[in-house]
Amino acid sequence: MDTLTFLIDRYDGVNSWRQRYEFPYRPGMTVLASLIHIKERIDPTLNFTASCRSAICGACAVRVNGNALLACDTMVDDLLTVWGEGALVVSPLGNAKVVSDLVVEWSEKIERLRLARPGLHAKPEFSAEKGCRQSPKDMQAVARQWDCILCGSCASECNKLTDSEKDFLEPFVFTHAARYAGDSRSADPLRHVEGMLENGLWKCVHCMECVSKCPKHIRPGEDIAAMRHMAVEAGHTEGPGPRHAEAFRTDLEKTGRLNEVKLVPRTEGMFSAATKRLPFTMRMFAKGKLGVLEAARLFVADNAPVENIDGLRKVIAPERKES
Amino acid sequence: MKYAFFPGCVLHAAAKEACVSTLAVAKHLGLELVEIPGWSCCGASHVQDVDPEAALLANARNLALAEKMGLPVLTACSTCALMLRQSRARLLDGAMDAANERLAEIGLRFQGTSEVTHLLWVLADTADAWASRVVRPLEHLRVAPFYGCHTVRPPEIMNYESHLNPQSLERIVRACGAEPVAIPERLRCCGFHAVFPAEQTAMRMTAAAVVSAAKAGAHCLLTPCPLCHMQLDMYQPDALSPACGDRPVPVLHLAQLVGEALGLDKRDMALSRHIVDARPVLKAATSGCGLS
Repeated sequence: MDTLTFLIDRYDGVNSWRQRYEFPYRPGMTVLASLIHIKERIDPTLNFTASCRSAICGACAVRVNGNALLACDTMVDDLLTVWGEGALVVSPLGNAKVVSDLVVEWSEKIERLRLARPGLHAKPEFSAEKGCRQSPKDMQAVARQWDCILCGSCASECNKLTDSEKDFLEPFVFTHAARYAGDSRSADPLRHVEGMLENGLWKCVHCMECVSKCPKHIRPGEDIAAMRHMAVEAGHTEGPGPRHAEAFRTDLEKTGRLNEVKLVPRTEGMFSAATKRLPFTMRMFAKGKLGVLEAARLFVADNAPVENIDGLRKVIAPERKES
Repeated sequence: MKYAFFPGCVLHAAAKEACVSTLAVAKHLGLELVEIPGWSCCGASHVQDVDPEAALLANARNLALAEKMGLPVLTACSTCALMLRQSRARLLDGAMDAANERLAEIGLRFQGTSEVTHLLWVLADTADAWASRVVRPLEHLRVAPFYGCHTVRPPEIMNYESHLNPQSLERIVRACGAEPVAIPERLRCCGFHAVFPAEQTAMRMTAAAVVSAAKAGAHCLLTPCPLCHMQLDMYQPDALSPACGDRPVPVLHLAQLVGEALGLDKRDMALSRHIVDARPVLKAATSGCGLS
């Protein structure tokens, strides 16, 4: 292969177009080296951001063939292995406002980051004189979250954010909240969780894009789960999200298997099950997805417990109270 | 090849058709599936939100039960596969000793000897072999693969193939004699796991996949995940806007497509259980009549 082809999504503030660039292939080139080559040798009007070239500043995140990556930390050869030897489409990050070519706007995202109330409010036993030390184990509990370089890759393909950013936040915002909420030195961990609860903590669709795209191997999806658990433990148990999760936990202990018939009433209440969800239920009956008698049995009674249910209960800690 | 079969809750309930078709295809291809006695819910990507320890320990028990059988685990549900594989990775990465203390109370032990695989991966790996046994090539059928998030992500756990550009479903579609049709949503979310807390989002996601498939000229969608199937099929009438010209598209379980191509008994495909009837397009697929 002698020539590389990049199709770059351009934007000049008014017009958008896709521009083709061809340049000599060299083994071992990064995406950023390719972009720099284009800017220096072919087209000085191409705009992109980059700085450290060491995967630590987070400035060079772009999308290639629709997937976010750090340009400086991605070998073109690896992309060709995945996508074959055709042209690579380079675009600005997804779920972001484009300023120019591959450059995206960050000021609104940073404003949204404030909802995590970033900053450690230390427990009263800590002071400027005594310091604010923690054990290595406690530090490790939030070390991964502290690796965030705010590159925006986690947000680029977030399926929930693509649908609507009005009732959800960039995954890195959740990670930033979790790193303070999970810090052993924090005086009030919930102050970081509460803003997340009000901004879609239970609306993550579990698409795992954030976990898959983070170049620092941070797992915002797991941070969301951890803060949901913290919220539930603190008594924030109302709403379809917590009720739905609790229904699964209840069934796990009760019979070992999910009771689908009771899932809707438990999640949304009997009224919703009998009214809003009625057409859905009738459709299930009509197509034989669910038998009427089977549904009645599951509603009145339950699934038969799995073999050795007592063993399962013993293993998953039956002393826990339903939240 | 013999597997410890982990059906997951949904294959015993709303997606019974995925269970019977999986068992029929497996039997036909000489894959022996032995259901794990006493298996429990995998946590369904929900239990960890209220009780992470229970989610891990329930799967430690599931895996220990499979290990007792001396068999690798096979599941036909992507979320079950993710939950089991994720738990296994955590157990092997340091959580094993504490889990085994609890498991010892009931005479079980997790050792990490049973790998967890997905029906999709086994069928893709063996496609060259079973393609020669296709007796009803679905040569006029245009199929839009819909992988489902948990089939491929996160890649450090679901590492069968590239999560960016997987090809296993396309390989299987071709082995069945059908034509894969790429839609932009093929690796996107169906919305299932947030259908209650983010209902409108979930419905828009469902509609996007279905509308895209119709627009691309696909006769059906195909998914290896029964939860995606539930969302795309059962909620499809709620998600589409017929007034805006949206038209329904049937959704096939992976095993149903393969079973049809292998000429298995129609009763074992249980196609009557779909909300959007897939039988007309499958009937037309072998003749070419009636497909647009």
